[in-house]
Amino acid sequence: MFERTEDPRKTFGAAVHEVAKQRPEVVALSADSGSSSGFGDFKKEFPDRYFEFGIMEQGLIGFASGLATTGRVPVFCAIAPFVTSRPFEMFRNDLGYMRQNVKIVGRNSGVSYSDLGATHHSLEDFAIIRMIPGVVILAPQDPEEIRSAVRAMLEYEGPVYMRIGNDPIPNLFPPAPFTIGRGKIAKSGKDATLIVTGSIAANALRAAELLESRGLSVEVLSMPTVTPIDRDLILESVKKTGRVFTVEEHYVVGGLGTIVSELCGEEYPVPVKKLGLPHGYTTSGPYQELLAYYKLDAAGIADSIQNSLSKGAGA
Amino acid sequence: MSMSVPVHELERRAARCRRKVVRMVRSSGCGHLGGALSCIDVVSALYFHTMKHDPSNPKLPTRDRFILSAGHKCMALYAVLAEAGYFDEAVLDTYGKLNTKLPGHPDMHKLPGVEANTGALGHGLSIAVGMALGLLLDGKGARVFALLGDGELPEGSNWEAAAAAAHHGLSNLTAIVDANGLQISGKTRDVMNMEPIGAHFAAFGWAVREVDGNDAGQVVEALDALPYQNRAPSLIVARTVKGKGLSFAENNVSYHYWKPKAEELEQAERELDETLKEVDA
Repeated sequence: MFERTEDPRKTFGAAVHEVAKQRPEVVALSADSGSSSGFGDFKKEFPDRYFEFGIMEQGLIGFASGLATTGRVPVFCAIAPFVTSRPFEMFRNDLGYMRQNVKIVGRNSGVSYSDLGATHHSLEDFAIIRMIPGVVILAPQDPEEIRSAVRAMLEYEGPVYMRIGNDPIPNLFPPAPFTIGRGKIAKSGKDATLIVTGSIAANALRAAELLESRGLSVEVLSMPTVTPIDRDLILESVKKTGRVFTVEEHYVVGGLGTIVSELCGEEYPVPVKKLGLPHGYTTSGPYQELLAYYKLDAAGIADSIQNSLSKGAGA
Repeated sequence: MSMSVPVHELERRAARCRRKVVRMVRSSGCGHLGGALSCIDVVSALYFHTMKHDPSNPKLPTRDRFILSAGHKCMALYAVLAEAGYFDEAVLDTYGKLNTKLPGHPDMHKLPGVEANTGALGHGLSIAVGMALGLLLDGKGARVFALLGDGELPEGSNWEAAAAAAHHGLSNLTAIVDANGLQISGKTRDVMNMEPIGAHFAAFGWAVREVDGNDAGQVVEALDALPYQNRAPSLIVARTVKGKGLSFAENNVSYHYWKPKAEELEQAERELDETLKEVDA
């Protein structure tokens, strides 16, 4: 675990390219964003299925919707805030309400465009896209999961939002089939449940190891599908541990932590501590330093959990 | 089926559709009247003269598509679809009722023949561009017609679509601007002047014609001449009269959304019945 790393964007683009070789209806759309999304080889092999539109993300969501009505399966990947918050109404109406088979992929998500600052950080995408009924949200956590999630996303009939990061990410899990809506137990434990999504999963798993060495046994649930969430897996673990932490590269409001809180509030009330970015405008800097600044490196996550557990329920 | 009909027959069809619009208002007690009446001659010319479509097979893959970007003018679309036989006319009497197939902005999952869920302005042209691109690549000759209101032209997304349509040479795409010159707050040129509409689109690379959009003859001539240029999308600026066909509503912005009193509704029905008699004579 953690040794071999891959560029998530290249992994993503190559995975779409692989599927496209078998599926002529898969097309790629670019808002001057295709080459940075790993679509170089796709474009070379399928120039007539690669459409460049320049920087116009609102229009582009509409174009994708229209293309989908002709049987194409459009994949549009660009910087996460520019495919979610900027064209939100187009996403809501032209994809969600029209139930179109379009795949929107936000790359450089979370704070992974770290030095570029708050305009380029995407910390509300789970929150706003999950408000659109019928949209599946995926946040694969390692390179192998990106590949399997891409296959599942293109297999699925309907609108999907996937987010991926920027920096190389380590392999965490052995290859496995990807089922939309299903999470997995990445590490068993009994003192608390740690639920994580996206590429920050590596830090959560490292944090669990640190906690183990400090005598705390944390069960890690990895959730590559944010919507619809794997309710059964969460509730089963929570009933065992009675305590929940969530970790995500997203605001602590509106995302995975909120989804888990809603679920536990209704089904099995236990304390849910949400670890993520504070609800404000983020600062900038080198990615790893930024994560550490917001206590989302392995040590920061481990310390937050240990402090909270030592203070007792609800702390 | 592509139904080529004489201009007089188109005028008769449009008159019947206007009457259906008022029938819907009687059902609901209110509705976006002015724009529905300004664009209805264009919409009926598209469906009864120009477009290849089949009311008995609304999903015919090779059909031409119509996108009503100005979704609030839905009563025009509903009237024309009913007149064409897409659904039983009795459905018109559910307009405004709970769970109607005819909501105040069209819903493709409720009513056969509706191609897109429009209503939020500035979306339709983008959807039409994507459709036209896919259909052009299919190479089966299917075309896309998008109807926009002049009041929605300030929406920036229209100009993203305008650029993309020209850049990708979508000669199977025609946009029609229903330029009735009025919007809720007054004259369109006073609210936000987007004139000269044709020149703006031409600057993006569109081929443009301008017609009297309430003159069936002129509309048909412009539609028959499509496409105006190889590898370029076409624009028809249809100069129209808001509220066209009802003496008291013509060019009167207070009929953008109409909530008639009983006498006014009766007068509207009388006037349109009279028009129908004239065109039938």
